[in-house]
Amino acid sequence: MMKIRPYGSHALLINFEQKIDLEIHHLVKGYFNAISEFEEVSYQIPAYCSITVVFDKKTTDYEHLKSKIELLEIEPSKTTAKTTTIEIPVCYEAAYAPDLASLAQELNLKPEEVISLHTAETYDVYMMGFLPGFPYLGKLPVALECKRKSTPRKQVKAGNVGLAGQQTGIYPSDAPGGWQLIGQTPLKIFDPHRKDAFLLKMGDRVQFKSINAETYIKIKQDVE
Amino acid sequence: MSNDLTLTFLKAGLQTTLQDNGRKGYQQLGIPKGGALDQSSASMANHIVGNESDEPLLEITMAGPEILFDSDAIIAVTGAHFDVYSDNVLIENDKVHYLESGTMIRFDKLNAGCRAYLAVAGNWKVKKWKDSVSPLLQVAEATPNSVIKKGTKININSSYLNHTNLWDKKIPYPALSNKVRLRVLVGPEFHSISRLAIANFFGKGHKVSNDANRMGYRLSSQLEKATEIKELISSGIIPGTVQLTGSGQPIILLNDAQTTGGYPRIANIIDEDLDQLAQLKPGDEIWFSLI
Repeated sequence: MMKIRPYGSHALLINFEQKIDLEIHHLVKGYFNAISEFEEVSYQIPAYCSITVVFDKKTTDYEHLKSKIELLEIEPSKTTAKTTTIEIPVCYEAAYAPDLASLAQELNLKPEEVISLHTAETYDVYMMGFLPGFPYLGKLPVALECKRKSTPRKQVKAGNVGLAGQQTGIYPSDAPGGWQLIGQTPLKIFDPHRKDAFLLKMGDRVQFKSINAETYIKIKQDVE
Repeated sequence: MSNDLTLTFLKAGLQTTLQDNGRKGYQQLGIPKGGALDQSSASMANHIVGNESDEPLLEITMAGPEILFDSDAIIAVTGAHFDVYSDNVLIENDKVHYLESGTMIRFDKLNAGCRAYLAVAGNWKVKKWKDSVSPLLQVAEATPNSVIKKGTKININSSYLNHTNLWDKKIPYPALSNKVRLRVLVGPEFHSISRLAIANFFGKGHKVSNDANRMGYRLSSQLEKATEIKELISSGIIPGTVQLTGSGQPIILLNDAQTTGGYPRIANIIDEDLDQLAQLKPGDEIWFSLI
């Protein structure tokens, strides 16, 4: 069930059942799309199982907006129809995957098994956050669930693909971070100079494809 | 009548950035709102020089710049009180000033507050990204001129015969004080913290620590019995959210903070009091009152 409560003086928070779950994600997506049509809403932050809705106090108030949201009829199944799946090439070779060997050992798997498990699944973009254009992708196969690194790296490179908990993600820019890095994509998933700066958005689906270093370098040259 | 004006920064100051009203509608992509932290001082400065309220302007933090104006200009300074010199003459805040070509504006001693705003009449020729000039921390290249460095040049198509305005008393304006009371509403996870932590939160003053910037202000107080706090499933963060970190230190998140986080959100400072918050600097004291 969904609960709505005030969140500061100009926003409200919609909380769904607090778990990372595909059905809840489809609800978030459905509500997010419907609320995007409301003119009195300044912006929204959809997350795993919540949506923050910031409104313009000059044109509405909490009670009005709450009733309007409660009247929406959202059917999660309908929001899945228009989903786009994006293929992301990833080089999992040692030079591009600083944590792959140690993580595989920790998970009692061979590095090749980590790669085939990671590429076998199609992931949903549950939310974006942490950095501009950082996608939280889920859920990982149980065999790949892992802890963050105990000491975060001071600098993770843009394009690094990491694992943390039940999630996998791609760094959109150089930044500090504690995810286990198992590969790197030559694509720029966030490029402010591109007309469409973001390769992914909440609600898209992602399929990773293993490429060798040669292909990585070739694609990298093409996108620069 | 209009002319081209170039501002040349001979000194950058501690943190001088271009700001406006920030970005709305990109938060679902992880883009923070950005924008001037003290919105009323910023819009007042633009109002005085006759600009639209979302025209870019300079946000000047704690130690200010030295700027050479190569042409005539109309300016106004609002917000924090610095000793501001136009060549060698002290100029007042909140008033319109007419500069002649070749004037040097120099920000000297900070007397009160934390952030000043310098508006210049005209149309700023600076690169916007997603409707705003506000710099993104991790993606400096999106708005290449928005973080001012020594030698930065900013071009403005200045309209010398702009319609200027007096200070508008109707625009609420933050008082510049070292000790403030900020009004809060209970946050989504308020009830997850202990009664003792709540008593400490409302019953004591909290000093702003040195870890205070446009992303957020970490407070130097420690809320007792706050150690059992668990991380939550990441959820949205808005400016003014007070989170309780794992160590029990409250942190107030501001305009450049990341859009999602996992610490309990114990309170939200109401939007009307955020301008006041933006004028606090390390060592200043905050008392929270529940409304």
